[in-house]
Amino acid sequence: MTSRRRVVVAWVATVTAGALLGVGSAWLWLTRTDPAGTRIGPWLVNLEAGSTDASLYTRARIALKALLALDRRETLYYIAQQDDAGRPLRSRCRYLISGSIPAARWWSVTAYADDLFLFPDAEQRYSVSGETTLNTVGRFSAFTGPETPVSGAIKWLPTPGDRGLILTLRLYNPSPEVQADPGALAVPSIQRQGECP
Amino acid sequence: MKPWQRWLAVGLTVAVLTHLLTVWALPRLIMREAMARITDETATQARAQARAQGAPQAATGVYLPPPTDHTQRRIVMPSPDLLYATCTLDLSKGPMRVTAEVAHPRYWSVALYGANSDNFFVVNERSAAAQRLDLWVVPPGADRSAMNAERGSTVVDAPSRKVLLLMRLLLTDDPADLALAKASRSTLRCDASAL
Repeated sequence: MTSRRRVVVAWVATVTAGALLGVGSAWLWLTRTDPAGTRIGPWLVNLEAGSTDASLYTRARIALKALLALDRRETLYYIAQQDDAGRPLRSRCRYLISGSIPAARWWSVTAYADDLFLFPDAEQRYSVSGETTLNTVGRFSAFTGPETPVSGAIKWLPTPGDRGLILTLRLYNPSPEVQADPGALAVPSIQRQGECP
Repeated sequence: MKPWQRWLAVGLTVAVLTHLLTVWALPRLIMREAMARITDETATQARAQARAQGAPQAATGVYLPPPTDHTQRRIVMPSPDLLYATCTLDLSKGPMRVTAEVAHPRYWSVALYGANSDNFFVVNERSAAAQRLDLWVVPPGADRSAMNAERGSTVVDAPSRKVLLLMRLLLTDDPADLALAKASRSTLRCDASAL
């Protein structure tokens, strides 16, 4: 190999390796690390979602995981991927989600599979929600899990299969207090029911 | 500097630049893909409607997706409690007018997203005057004198020439909501300036 050719090969190899490292590290960083946000119990709320002030990384993460999110004045999104004890949520386990009615005009908790789409259910039981007025005092609860719970009194969101589970709490037009400080929300608890080997 | 140090510096510089470029470009590419799909869906739906009616229908420029269920696998984290309507605005020829007459008794909103995926504008039924939506979406650097925005219409500055509009209408357990939401979303016109 002539020395000139050696230099060309070295350049191509170096630039290719650098580019792969750059793209790979960006992908891993965006998909494998926790997004920046405020953690409240098992929930994570990102205050820059949809915002024109979003950082470079937040914008990319939101585009990947929550494209077309609304900005925080309109909607706050709290996302849980673990239970109260910090264990990763699995669809084959049973969870009791309960909490006080969030201070918002309207709220919902939706169960998503780890691909961020809904679990198949012929009866379309995908979410628990409520239309509330501000400052309503009350509580709600719901089960998630692969099989019908014994008690039929509490709403059940079926999560068939064995895969990651993601819960999203949406607050449409949150109260001014929550909007100013989303970390102050009394978030619903996520308790695993029974053993889940 | 030894030669291997020089090569390492070159490699790392390229890595940092492509890393930043990837993070910067990703939301733009995802948005471009989403807008292309919506444009396709809009055309497909218009053709299907024309076939069903036996005559070409007036173009609304709007895609009306079916109520969200688990078969919706296009946009991540769809809300099963919302009925959507969506369209893309191409502002390369100038400002575009968007109108709707919404008679939905529950929450609804219309949000605009720029080419970089930012939600730069949102209006909901509380802020919209009398359930009537009348927006002029203006591209960056546009000649505003060319548009004849009526009084009462809202002028919105878009950060890009391509804009995605997403309308959300809340559904509850009351089955009457679906009919009302469907009627309301069908009044959405994304190219009302052409009317």
